[in-house]
Amino acid sequence: MHLEEEELVDLAEGTRPESSAPHLASCEPCRRQVGDLRAMMSAAADVDVPEPSPLYWDRLSARVRETVATEASPRPWLDVAAWRRVLLPAWAAAVASIIIVVALGSRLMAPPPPPAAPAAVVAKDAEVVDLWNDRASDDDESLTLVASLSAGLDLEAAGEAGLAARGSAEHAVTHMDDDDLRELKRLLMQELAPSGD
Amino acid sequence: MAAADQSLADLDERALVDACLANQPGAFDLIVERHRRPVYLLCYRFVGNHEDASDLSQDVFIRAFRGLRSFRGQSSIATWLYRIGVNVCLNRVSAKTTLGKLTDPIDDRQFVDAGAESAPDRILKEERAAQVRAAIAQLPPTQRATLILRTYHEMSHQEIADVLGSSVGAVKANFFHALANLKKLLRDEI
Repeated sequence: MHLEEEELVDLAEGTRPESSAPHLASCEPCRRQVGDLRAMMSAAADVDVPEPSPLYWDRLSARVRETVATEASPRPWLDVAAWRRVLLPAWAAAVASIIIVVALGSRLMAPPPPPAAPAAVVAKDAEVVDLWNDRASDDDESLTLVASLSAGLDLEAAGEAGLAARGSAEHAVTHMDDDDLRELKRLLMQELAPSGD
Repeated sequence: MAAADQSLADLDERALVDACLANQPGAFDLIVERHRRPVYLLCYRFVGNHEDASDLSQDVFIRAFRGLRSFRGQSSIATWLYRIGVNVCLNRVSAKTTLGKLTDPIDDRQFVDAGAESAPDRILKEERAAQVRAAIAQLPPTQRATLILRTYHEMSHQEIADVLGSSVGAVKANFFHALANLKKLLRDEI
């Protein structure tokens, strides 16, 4: 049983006395390995590194100092808080726009409901589109996307973006019923139609 | 200012790092001044030329500055800097093959001050050193790092294990294989 690599290293470095490894005296391959290790340690140790100019060390320190000073000084473009202040309202506004466009688009593009009995019409008039609680919207991929995009918005960000609470114009737009949306569509088409003047 | 420098010099390593984090003038300068030479030598051993070693040394200290908050004081600043240095050097040598530039040309060194040595002896010694440097440069990265830290920086196996994030047994095995491979590479040359 020959000596392990770790034992050979310890013996070559002299951190372990040869007397503690009786095997070494009777094993030529292990003795040769220890000798080879010592020879290579000696060969490697003889390789010097050319010493740089004595002036070099201060230049190195100065370069590090300059870079560190640059990094230590505040840089507005790296100020995370500043970016957050700028981007969060913009992001919230973008999400709000998407919500409005998708909500309007899905309602405007929907086919008109079939004629219904007067009683049913009255009931439908009372039905209001609630984007947040409308169970039917769960099946709408576009609304699912909007919901996931807006999931991370907190009230403060939404407020900054103009997403106000009930009673606001934005709330009214996103809660129109079908008749209101049809009327809005008519008015938009009228406005967008080429002028006869 | 001199009094401030004196007080910084009296700080233990943890307190010196805290002084850096508190933006105390001169604190990080002191760390650089104390460790710049061994860091440079470590880098030079890896890349074998002054320009790259200088760039890497600067990189080591910049990374150390950025990572000051991560210094826990569980190891010495020297060990921490060596760890950064080894990572920086291993990234560099794995990013590009530097073998062609690993050793400053022997011809460039024939004309340096020979001191007490005769010119032929000096040339022979430089040729042999260049062969060993080239052989070390061909070692696998972890073996090379182990050999450099053990041979030139006189670090204990435990300290090397701390730097490389391995065990003492693994360090000794790496050192054994580094020396064995060195012998194979130099077989026809020494």
